[in-house]
Amino acid sequence: MTMNRREFLHSAGMCFGGLATFGFPEVHFANVRQDGRLVFVLLRGGFDGLAAVAPTFDPAWRDLRGPLAADTDQLLDLADGFALTPGLAPFREFWDRGELLALHAMAIPYRTRSHFDGQAILETGLDQPEGSAAGWLNRLLSIMEGERSGIAIAAGMPRSLTGPVEVSSWSPTELGVVEDAYLDRLSVLYRSDEALQGRFEAALGMLDVGEEMEAMGGEGMAGGRRPGADAASLFRAAARLMSTPEGPNVAAMEFSGWDTHANQGGVGGNLDRQLGRLAEGLAAFREAMGERWPGTTVVVMTEFGRTARPNGTSGTDHGTAGAGFVLGTGVSRSRVVADWPGLAEHQLFENRDLAPTLDTRAVLKGVLAGTFDLTPTQADRVFPGSSGVRGMWELMS
Amino acid sequence: MSPPHVALNRFGLGARPGEAERLDDPRGWLLRQLEGPPPTLTPTPEADAGDSDLFRSLFAGLRSQDQERVAELRRVARQRRQAEMSAVLTTRVTTERPFAERWVAFWSNHLCVSSADGFQTALLAGAYERDAIRPHVFGRFEEMVLASARHPAMLYYLDNVRSTGPNSAAARRPRRGKGPVAGALRGLNENYARELLELHTLGVDGGYTQDDVEQLARIFTGWGVSGVGPERLRVRAGSDTGAGGSGEIGFRFAAPLHEPGRKRVLGRTYGEGEDAGVAVVRDLARHPSTARFLAGKIATHFMDDAPPPAAIDALERTWLDTDGDLREVARTLVRLDAAWAPGHRKFRTPQDWFVAVLRAVDAREAAGTFPQVLQQLRHPLWAPPSPKGFGDLRREWADSDALMNRAELARTLARRATRAGRTQGDPAAPRRRGPDIRPLATVVALEPGDPLPEMLADESIPVDERIALAFAGPAFQWR
Repeated sequence: MTMNRREFLHSAGMCFGGLATFGFPEVHFANVRQDGRLVFVLLRGGFDGLAAVAPTFDPAWRDLRGPLAADTDQLLDLADGFALTPGLAPFREFWDRGELLALHAMAIPYRTRSHFDGQAILETGLDQPEGSAAGWLNRLLSIMEGERSGIAIAAGMPRSLTGPVEVSSWSPTELGVVEDAYLDRLSVLYRSDEALQGRFEAALGMLDVGEEMEAMGGEGMAGGRRPGADAASLFRAAARLMSTPEGPNVAAMEFSGWDTHANQGGVGGNLDRQLGRLAEGLAAFREAMGERWPGTTVVVMTEFGRTARPNGTSGTDHGTAGAGFVLGTGVSRSRVVADWPGLAEHQLFENRDLAPTLDTRAVLKGVLAGTFDLTPTQADRVFPGSSGVRGMWELMS
Repeated sequence: MSPPHVALNRFGLGARPGEAERLDDPRGWLLRQLEGPPPTLTPTPEADAGDSDLFRSLFAGLRSQDQERVAELRRVARQRRQAEMSAVLTTRVTTERPFAERWVAFWSNHLCVSSADGFQTALLAGAYERDAIRPHVFGRFEEMVLASARHPAMLYYLDNVRSTGPNSAAARRPRRGKGPVAGALRGLNENYARELLELHTLGVDGGYTQDDVEQLARIFTGWGVSGVGPERLRVRAGSDTGAGGSGEIGFRFAAPLHEPGRKRVLGRTYGEGEDAGVAVVRDLARHPSTARFLAGKIATHFMDDAPPPAAIDALERTWLDTDGDLREVARTLVRLDAAWAPGHRKFRTPQDWFVAVLRAVDAREAAGTFPQVLQQLRHPLWAPPSPKGFGDLRREWADSDALMNRAELARTLARRATRAGRTQGDPAAPRRRGPDIRPLATVVALEPGDPLPEMLADESIPVDERIALAFAGPAFQWR
């Protein structure tokens, strides 16, 4: 029997138990581990894809969008008449480096305008709501080969990561300030508990991530879920956790505040600025990942798009298809991935939403194959009942 | 774990200092809590978010898109929800029947609704536990499931209000107007039927098919909510846009939405009308798969993540013998020798942990901010992430972040508690030494040699830090 390096590391890690996860000098593994890393960023609330990536070429676009399509000269052209809202300017650098896919007219495989059902579908990877199903990232961890571990970098365990495989978690909190002496004494206490000791030690190992964030001037840590001024700090923390040699290779992050029923704004408006903070965060993430950025893929998705037309309160309501992004060195080339359904009245889904032509699962399968070398069969298993949905293997090289 | 600690912590909601030593008949103490009426709760008007007028006003406000009015109504709703949640937490912290109260929480979570869904469910979640769960925790399971099935919170939460018989009178009526809503809503919604089978009664392996789900969904068509506007409006616009209406927000059977004809579920034939739904709920609640599923879930909650099969068998037998008499099932649970055997333990969920902390310091009430604390601990009241409810397994809760959260929160709470104690003290009183906190070591079962008692007695450590150590240390994480 031959054992590849990965398997060897896995078994070596097993011998060291939870301690292998932290504190190993980087030199031991830097040359042997080439594993991919995946960050799944869920924008809860349904961000407006037509605002983020504007189809300026569509003859119906300007009239349909009305006030939401003002100041179009400030949009940033990508390709084929698709243009980014100016807040997403940091994405231009990803684009220029060949590291950005903009996905459009994309939707989950279940028609719902409910946040609850939509997020459940997106996070379980199924084609209809199922109360007890595990998250697809957790399923991925059970299907992947070699050493792998998942982490939630979020205030709460996202559904996408829940399931039978044990995962870790980290979040900046403001539950309290603790002294070193207190933590030392707790360490002593935890020594007598075999089941919990390793996890407490792991938490101690991650504690300095929060301290580093503070030292870098991160503020209002508890507000980190909304991409406020500190989204970049949160992404830096994510990079700090994921760039350690034995760090997790699957992470879930989430941000809320995208449910723009009112005062969505156009160029320079609320949504544009919020997208800007997200994009700045991702730029900070790439920078902080440093030499571990190669091999890393970030997926940005949301549970649904929004109505194609503005509503009566200068916002948009729950819709169907929307946009998403894949960022990473594994992207085969920068491009807009869309089978454009059109915005003419008869082309809209139920005469109100951008019609779905791209299945989130087809994209995710392609991403998984490109990031972790999953076979098509394995990728199918991550999304049960999806064998009829062909993975877009060509998205990643 | 000693029998008093099993009774106080695993069955109850957390021991108070000295309580374990005083409890000389732990089993009798638990059994006595099962006597008499179920632990009901009457809200004050300020702590009742499910009030019909508020509910209707919010509906009307949302329809009118009068943003100021909606904002004001939302503020009122938020305040009432906070007060409602604080009241329930206070009950858990102060009750002298903690086992009965845990029994309520178990069933409330089993048949959960979630405030994380729409505003309708959020408003009604507290009323749901009060009206559909509490009155039935010592009764037959089928009565609880029936109350749950008919409660507006559940009807909204699992979308039964949206479910229309494809051949119902309403579906056959010519469509008026066009626009986005008219086409989107006509038809069956299987959500409730599926979860009733999978999560509430038979369990996912309980032996039902997709066809059973669909047939069951047909039976429940027409089960809807009263007091929210004329049916005509609901039929046209779908589920939940009715602004008018009067009377209590409650259950109503809307015959025009009901699917005509006979239905077959699990081999049994049911007729048309409201009674068929009642009959099928009773049949499902009494189904042998339900007994097996619930026996396992109860044993898992009260004994161990991997409970002994013999314990599950015993609970199942009682369930089958009594047609799901929950009081008798609880009695069987307490009488099981295996439940008291050393070696079993459960990791405290955040709610368990937080309530136990408050009981250990003999808190009189839960502060208004405590519901948010539970949110930060990822275990908000009445807001599970899915219809499955919150889990109670170690792997679901004992992650590294959770342990650090508890360490930090314990530190903060202890700091605040001692500060508050100082300011309330009588300045004229003779200076006392710090409070004797050594009894905090008695609220949980400690292994011999655990360094905690020594730390608690060590006056070189600040008193608030010592209090925090008692709650953040590993022993306190288990029940």
